[in-house]
Amino acid sequence: MTYHPSAAGSAVSTIPASPDGADPAVRVNGVTRRFGAVLAVDNVSLSVEHGETIALLGPNGAGKTTTISMLLGLSRPDSGSIEIFGSAPGSAAAHASVGAMLQDGGMMPGVLIGELLTMVRSLYQAPLALDEVLEIAQLRGLERRRVDRLSGGQSQRLRLAMALVGDPRLLILDEPTAAMDVETRRGFWHAMGGFTERGRTILFSTHYLEEADVAADRVVMMARGRVVADGTPSAIKNSVGLRVIRFSITHPGIAGLDALPGAVSATAHGNRVELRCSNSDTALRALIAARPDAHDIEVAGIALEDAFITITDGLAA
Amino acid sequence: MIKYLGLEIRRSLRDRRYLLLVAGWPVAAYLLFSTVFGSAADRTEGLAPTVEIMVAMASFGAMGGVLLASGPRLAMDRQLGWLRQLRLTPLSPARILTARLIAAMALSLPAIVLTFIAAVLVKDVTLPLWEWPLLVLVIAAGCLPFAAMGILVGTIADGDGAQGLTMVLYLVLAALGGLWMPVQILPSALQTVAKTLPSYHLAQLGWHIARGAVPAVGDAAVLLAWFAGAALIAMAASRRLTLRTA
Repeated sequence: MTYHPSAAGSAVSTIPASPDGADPAVRVNGVTRRFGAVLAVDNVSLSVEHGETIALLGPNGAGKTTTISMLLGLSRPDSGSIEIFGSAPGSAAAHASVGAMLQDGGMMPGVLIGELLTMVRSLYQAPLALDEVLEIAQLRGLERRRVDRLSGGQSQRLRLAMALVGDPRLLILDEPTAAMDVETRRGFWHAMGGFTERGRTILFSTHYLEEADVAADRVVMMARGRVVADGTPSAIKNSVGLRVIRFSITHPGIAGLDALPGAVSATAHGNRVELRCSNSDTALRALIAARPDAHDIEVAGIALEDAFITITDGLAA
Repeated sequence: MIKYLGLEIRRSLRDRRYLLLVAGWPVAAYLLFSTVFGSAADRTEGLAPTVEIMVAMASFGAMGGVLLASGPRLAMDRQLGWLRQLRLTPLSPARILTARLIAAMALSLPAIVLTFIAAVLVKDVTLPLWEWPLLVLVIAAGCLPFAAMGILVGTIADGDGAQGLTMVLYLVLAALGGLWMPVQILPSALQTVAKTLPSYHLAQLGWHIARGAVPAVGDAAVLLAWFAGAALIAMAASRRLTLRTA
């Protein structure tokens, strides 16, 4: 037996980063995409590890759908590179391991749900059982319904079934719950939870911070084509500033208020000031010390959407 | 791909209005024309009028079935986003288009078979037994250029535009190609054009067989050239298939 010092040395460092090797589920590197004069996606980099559930959060026009389109190989970046499990998007290998729900994905008209899913199932090497797909997508009993005669909710469930049928390692969902009411949305994420328990990776887009908070391990926030924040839902929530302190001031001037501990941003309307806070308790104590002229103070929670939109606008401006 | 092909054909057969149009029209036209012109001695192909018109109408119906099954349907699927969705599966774009091409070709059969049945039952047409299957096969296979032309139309034109363009293409190819009337009655300039059309050569192939002759290689070559031309342009334009329409 011969001694190989290098082999011993490398044993530690070659432990695979994931069960499938070193390639992450998704790797986006400096991707830019233009439509005419509009910069839809601007130098975006992003990596998604195996088993992660990641939310792409942003208002309309943030570049979420364009990014997803490129991840799926439906459009190509002008510059930068994308890999899905180490393969090019749109390659045979990528198609075999990715399932997707598109916002504008249509279904083959004139066929039955059961026929369609059976056909699509036959295109994959190791698909889910048809019964399991129908169960997860809550389509049981609708197999004999024509796909062009479905309600909005049923169509959305069929899109989900189409995404799941190949038993993909990565699910990409473009605003999957956009047309759903609160109840249906909860059911949807419950079903998705079962999916990730099997070590699958999910990337979904949404413009609801609340949804990202509930469903995702990690949130990538996009605005105007750029990634403006990337972190855990609670880190994102803190940076967004979910509470506001409103007060009146006797001496005009709000300089320095946004630098108070716990504060995120300050705006004045006449002598009334609005202070966005990640921690309103800390900020309130600091405010009273710093501005003895502050009066008529109130502290309130603000709507997630408002907070989110203000911040992304501010960051992207 | 076989299952996708099967489903494409199945959904066409489910579309009653389409079937009536592509199979009913040529049968009705056959019965009308072969009755009106049935005794005319001035047919040009050296065949009994009931046989000559039978081949012409079978070709006419086959061409219509193929054009309508490929062009407007592809345009609709594209607009609905079905092609985007299908593109996400492991089925490659080449296979998707091949399946659609074959499915469209298969839809030449109802018109051919029904026209032949009408000819035998109503007009007492008789041909040597071996000619029937050969006629069906050759007319169906001869529709290859129309399938490619339909796919081209469905790739570049949207919804109603594709429907309209297909109908214009269909009627012009039928009228100029000598399927409704002999090309000899056209002005000579138009005759020159007519003799380059795939519809003209499709009918010629059928008439050759009905005369008991082997199908001409020249006609087949022209059909293949039309197929190649249409298919190449369609492939060049095929990036449009998965573009967002919303």
